[in-house]
This record gives sequence, C-alpha cells and structure tokens, in this order.
Amino acid sequence: MSKTTNNKIAEVIEASTAQFTAQCYELYEMPPLGALVKTGDIFGVVANEETTGMEPGRKPIARGKDAATEEAVYKDSPQLKKLLRSTFTAAVVGYCKDGKIHQYLPPQPAKIHAFVYLCQPEEVDEFSKSFSWLNILINSAISVPTEEVIAASLRQMSRVREDSHSFMVAAGKEIANILASNIARVKNILEKIRHDG
Amino acid sequence: MSLDLTAVAAQVINMISGLKGKRAEQAQHLQNALTTLSDTAIDLEDLKKKIKAAKTTWLVAEIYEGLNQRYPLPPLPPDFTVIAADGSHIDVDRHQNTHCYLINIGSVVLTYGSQPDAALASDPHLYADDKDLVLTHPTNGREQAVEGNILGAKRSVEECKALVALAASLPPQNPILALLDGTLILWGLEAFPDFVTDALLINGMLKCLDAMKKLNKDRRLALASYISYPRTTDVLNVLRVAVCPNDIPDCDKQCPPAHGRDCAGLNGVRDRDIFMDLLEDGERSALFISPSKIVKEYYGDHKVYFFYLRVGDEIARVEIPQWAAENKDLLNLTHTLIYDQCQRGQGYPVALSEAHEQAVVTGGDRENFRELVESTLTGEHLASVTSGKSLSKRTRWV
Repeated sequence: MSKTTNNKIAEVIEASTAQFTAQCYELYEMPPLGALVKTGDIFGVVANEETTGMEPGRKPIARGKDAATEEAVYKDSPQLKKLLRSTFTAAVVGYCKDGKIHQYLPPQPAKIHAFVYLCQPEEVDEFSKSFSWLNILINSAISVPTEEVIAASLRQMSRVREDSHSFMVAAGKEIANILASNIARVKNILEKIRHDG
Repeated sequence: MSLDLTAVAAQVINMISGLKGKRAEQAQHLQNALTTLSDTAIDLEDLKKKIKAAKTTWLVAEIYEGLNQRYPLPPLPPDFTVIAADGSHIDVDRHQNTHCYLINIGSVVLTYGSQPDAALASDPHLYADDKDLVLTHPTNGREQAVEGNILGAKRSVEECKALVALAASLPPQNPILALLDGTLILWGLEAFPDFVTDALLINGMLKCLDAMKKLNKDRRLALASYISYPRTTDVLNVLRVAVCPNDIPDCDKQCPPAHGRDCAGLNGVRDRDIFMDLLEDGERSALFISPSKIVKEYYGDHKVYFFYLRVGDEIARVEIPQWAAENKDLLNLTHTLIYDQCQRGQGYPVALSEAHEQAVVTGGDRENFRELVESTLTGEHLASVTSGKSLSKRTRWV
C-alpha cells in the first residue's frame, strides 16, 4: 500500500458538532485509538475505529479455509482492498482560531470530504499543554467506553511530552477533579495510564 | 393489495407434484441422450452432413470437435489479468415528458499473481439527444425508437466497448481474459429491420470484437461470455437429428404436430443435463458452433463457438468468437481462467459479479434518478408533466 503524503490519512464522510467520521485512504492504515487528529481547524481524538464492507448490504465472508496465510487471502482476491474500508470516528476536542488553540467545541462542524491529518508531535505537545479537552471527552457520547479513549489518548500524548511522568500526574489530578463524584471511573482511568510501559 | 399467497399455495403444490410425476420419464430421456452422445456407431462426418441438410423446427449446433469429448483443466498461468464489464439501464419512461435513458456500465480489472491489484469503476451515461433516442434509416428516414429490446442490445454494445477500452489500457505482459455476462449473440435484433442491425451489430458489437481481435497483435487477449445455468438445447438437438430415422430430417413434413416423433425420447433434456453427467469438475466439453441465423449472416470471423464447463455442481455455457476458439492457447486460457474465476467467486466469475455490483441500478436509484430529473426541470421553471397512470401508481389512495 502506498503511503499518503503530509500525514493526510483520511477524509471526512460524516460530521456533526461533537464528532466526525473519516474514511482512511488505505485499508487498515488507521491512526491509533486516542491519537490526536486534525481536519481544517478542528482537533479530534480518535474514539472508535472499524473496518467494514464498503456497501452496507455486502457482508464479508470467510475466504481463507484453503489459504496458507492471511496475506494469501488478499492476494487471491485483490478486489477486497477496494470493497472494504477502514473508518474512524473522532470526538471533537477543540479548534484553532487565529493561531490559538481553544479546547471547546467549534462554531461549525468539519466539512464533508475535508482531509484529516495525524497531528505532528509539536502540535500534540502544544495541544496537551491544557487539559480542558478531557472534560469534553468525558461528557461525549462515543460508543467506546470513555475511560478507554481518555487513557489511550493520554498514553499517546505522554510520548511527545518531555516529562511524561509529570504530564500523567497533572492529567490524573485533572481527571480526579472532573470526576470527583465518581471515584470508580477515576480509578479506572488511572489504572490504564499506569499500565503504560 | 398484496399478492394472495394462500390462493397461490395450492397451485404451487399442484405444480410440484406434476414435476415429481415427470421425474422417471426425464431420467429415461437423459439416459437416451447420453447413450446417443457416446454412440460409437455415429459417423461424425455423416451426422454433420445430415445436420446441414436437415429442416428442423429447432436450432442445431454445428459439430466442431466431436460430441462427447472431455478436456481437462489446463494449467493456470502464474500472472494473469481478468477484466469484465456489465451494465444496467433505466429505460425511457413513456409516462414522463422527458425522453431519455440511462446506461450504467460497471467495469473491473483484477490482476493476479506476483503483483495483485484491482480496479473497480462505474460509468453512468445519460442519453437524451435525438440521435441517441432513435435509430434512423440512412436513406428512407424510417425510425426505430431505442427502448426495450433495442436498448438492451445497445447496452450490450456499450458493455463490449467498455471492455475494449479496458483491454487496450492494460500493459501487454500479462495474458488477459475479457469477460461479458450472457451471450455474445444479439438475438434480440433478429426481429428488427436491417438498419437497426447495421447500427447495433455491424457498427456496434462486431466493431468491438474486431478491436478485441486486433489487440491480440501485441498481447494474449481472450474474450468470452459466460452463461450461468443455461437453458439451451443446441447439442441436444444434434442428438435429435442423430436419432431421426429419416435421411434428411424435415420436421414439418415428416413429423407434423399430431404425429409421434422418434426424437420424443429426448424431450425435456437440456444441454446442461447431458454435460452435468459427462463432465468432471473443471472439464470442458467439445467446442460447438452456434447455429443462430444472425451469427451465420453477420458475425464472419467472430462466429460464435461455445463449450460447456463443469464448475462444481453447475454447468456453465461459455461463448467465444471463432478467432479465440481456433487458437489453442486462447481457448485453454479461457477454459482455465473462467474456472479459476468461479473458484474465487463462490461458483460464479468474481470479475463478472463485481462488474455487476458496480453497474447495478436499484429501485431506489431509479426513484432518485426520476426525482433528480424532475427537480432539475422545476429548477429551470420547466413543467414536469406526468401521466395519470404514473401518478396513480406513485400516489396511492383509498
């Protein structure tokens, strides 16, 4: 599969104020869960991913009974790469206006067919200087458990922070503040952050 | 009101019991056919002459290789490409004042081997010009509307055109099989005047077949059409001639309707029944030549040959032009690649099923198309006139 340039990884196919769904240009070349992505001026955290048949009425069937490897299944049926698609849904966590990042919902949703980019380390670094986005994510209606997405996102962000330990401690305090009335959820998230190698 | 299934159920039960009653007779007829097919006493040259002289009320295949030959599956080349085109259309709606039709061509390129790849495309085209809506006789001005069967034939031509364009666009290294769904024979044109045949067959389909043949100069390109579960009896009718006791069979004279026929012992058998018994999985039958009048008159060196192919529990009919049939290499390529396509496609060539998926125009698509035309008319402040009948079907009331 050819790599797309400029980190352009996908294109918006559904958009609302709080979420957008994008189709990846290459099958299975999805950003990791929790990754920070950007479309136009809007930032999103990858909150769910799926690979399905391109058409709703055509379901994939098992093909590999006689194939030696999984790669052979795709080699023997080259059309599969055109009939399947990988998509992801990102929870909107902020936007950029006049060069300044705002961690609240944008005035307008993303545009259909807008390109989606994986944020560069410096953008992630800049974005993760504030934790207001955590509140948006905790209250967002995403299909994957919110705790999983928050933990995945913090693990991703901590990798580009110079002092990842301090970053995680600060994030943990912020989560404890937001979820003060639900200690079980706080523990759940902290548990998942701590286990990151 | 919806269909009264309770009323239909009793009729279905009667139909099924009627079929059951005929099973023993059908089995005997099939046995008769198989015995005749392998009858060593039949002299093929004599039979060919008898077929040529016969005046039958049914079409009899020409014998090319014999009757009961079986050809094993040739080896699969390491790298190859299969291309296919299929179409669907929205016919002229005579209940609307906008006269137009739409043909949607789906096409597929599947490359197998060391560098597997796929390209799938659909290409809709709207026809609304006068020259597209009617075929006109060049001298007397007689007109034939392009709708119904004529539109079906035009669609076949467009499918073939798309296939030629695909074939020409491919690099010449890989052997290529170009596949069409259904028959290569434009049967539907037999009932129409010559200027229609000129437009759609001579200047349409046959030009495409010429182009395909020419492309073979720098590549191995086979062309075939695939008929799943065929109902044809061209080979069975060869056996009818073989068992006919008259030296020169003449059905109408010798066996008028009330008269018993010696070939009645073969009634109800289809070619697929014969070859289902004869062929093992992957084997093809002998080649035969289509006896169709339109083929004899117009097809020239694209004369349609056919063979039957056993694909699992099904017999398929594969039609190929003469130049592909008489070239052993292209014939073997067709045989092995079609079988391989069926293996990959759960019993039906995967390239054809994907081309169909690209081409298909659903009921919803038709409705959306109609709405698009109407809303565009309204947008341009033009009246969208609909017949009362059409309106009554779309807006149902009590």
